[in-house]
Amino acid sequence: MDELELLKKDWQTNANQENQHISSEAIYPMMQKKSSSIVKTLFYISVAELVFWIILNSYPYFASEAYRAELTSMYGGNNNVFLAITLFSHAIILVFVYLLYKAHKSISVTDNAKKLMEGILKTRKVIKYYVIYNLVVAFLSMSFGLYHSVYNNPEISQQFEKFSDKQMFIATLVMIIFTALFILIIWVFYRLIYGILLKRLNRNYKELKKLEV
Amino acid sequence: MNKELENNFVELLEKHQNIVHKVCRLYTNNQDAHNDLFQEITIQLWKAYPKFRGDAKFSTWMYRVGLNTAITLYRKSKRTIKTQEFEKVSFKIKSVEYDDTEEQQLKLLYQAVYQLNDIEKALVFLYLEDKKYNEISETLGISEVNARVKMNRVKKKLKTILNP
Repeated sequence: MDELELLKKDWQTNANQENQHISSEAIYPMMQKKSSSIVKTLFYISVAELVFWIILNSYPYFASEAYRAELTSMYGGNNNVFLAITLFSHAIILVFVYLLYKAHKSISVTDNAKKLMEGILKTRKVIKYYVIYNLVVAFLSMSFGLYHSVYNNPEISQQFEKFSDKQMFIATLVMIIFTALFILIIWVFYRLIYGILLKRLNRNYKELKKLEV
Repeated sequence: MNKELENNFVELLEKHQNIVHKVCRLYTNNQDAHNDLFQEITIQLWKAYPKFRGDAKFSTWMYRVGLNTAITLYRKSKRTIKTQEFEKVSFKIKSVEYDDTEEQQLKLLYQAVYQLNDIEKALVFLYLEDKKYNEISETLGISEVNARVKMNRVKKKLKTILNP
């Protein structure tokens, strides 16, 4: 007999005999407990992600008057440019909140396994794009900030004027490496979080995809 | 959620709970993990219950939610067999002299099933539960042909694990 048929015969007789029974009284409290599923964790991470970047972007502006003045001077004293950029960044956040909400809503445990996995991976992708967006913005503002300090801050620009071409090249290089390194560290950190969280899901999804080839 | 819905759900789950136990037995290797997974499946079933439509059988619906939770949503690390325990299992299989008695074969078969990956386990589970290939394909989201092909591969894999 086929091995699996032998197993099936045994399974049909033995596995269907209940050797542990949970009473209805015990089921009620179970239903009220909090889920610790991957979707729940992903949801918390996405909310934390949104809050983290919003705070990081807006806190310094509200916290210090000097910084606010500096920012205004950076935009050439033109408050409208600054306002436009702020409005734009808030609009982007709203778009991401909407996309995240939609992605989370589309995850359904009653879908088939592949569709469920795709729903979760789609949510993760939205978070990924949000992170990439923030990293690009961080990179641009850091570069712009550095550029601004070099050319507009009297002390630093005086210092730079004394530099030879070679020194100037090294200083620029150091700045670029420093900015890139900062971005890279954050990126690796994200890869690590999601890598650990979604390792099994990715493996199982690949296994299902492999069946289609 | 109203009380009536809650009572209906508990009544159905109590009646069909063996399906959940079977999923837990396949995907966990100790009682703590078993209870933990049972708990998570219960939460997922309850969360999805308001959307459950009577046109599907409750038990059929349970297979889907149960397996989805075990394969995709559940994320406790103690669920997986630790490397050491895993080695012990494969060591046992290799060292035991081939015995033709059914009991011995069954023991080896169950150990071999534990060594399959999550998707293969789901296929075997639905097969053992006497599910038709169209239901297996719908539960996993693969085509019927692919479900059959994969099942044949799993059969071969089990054979190789049993007779290395």
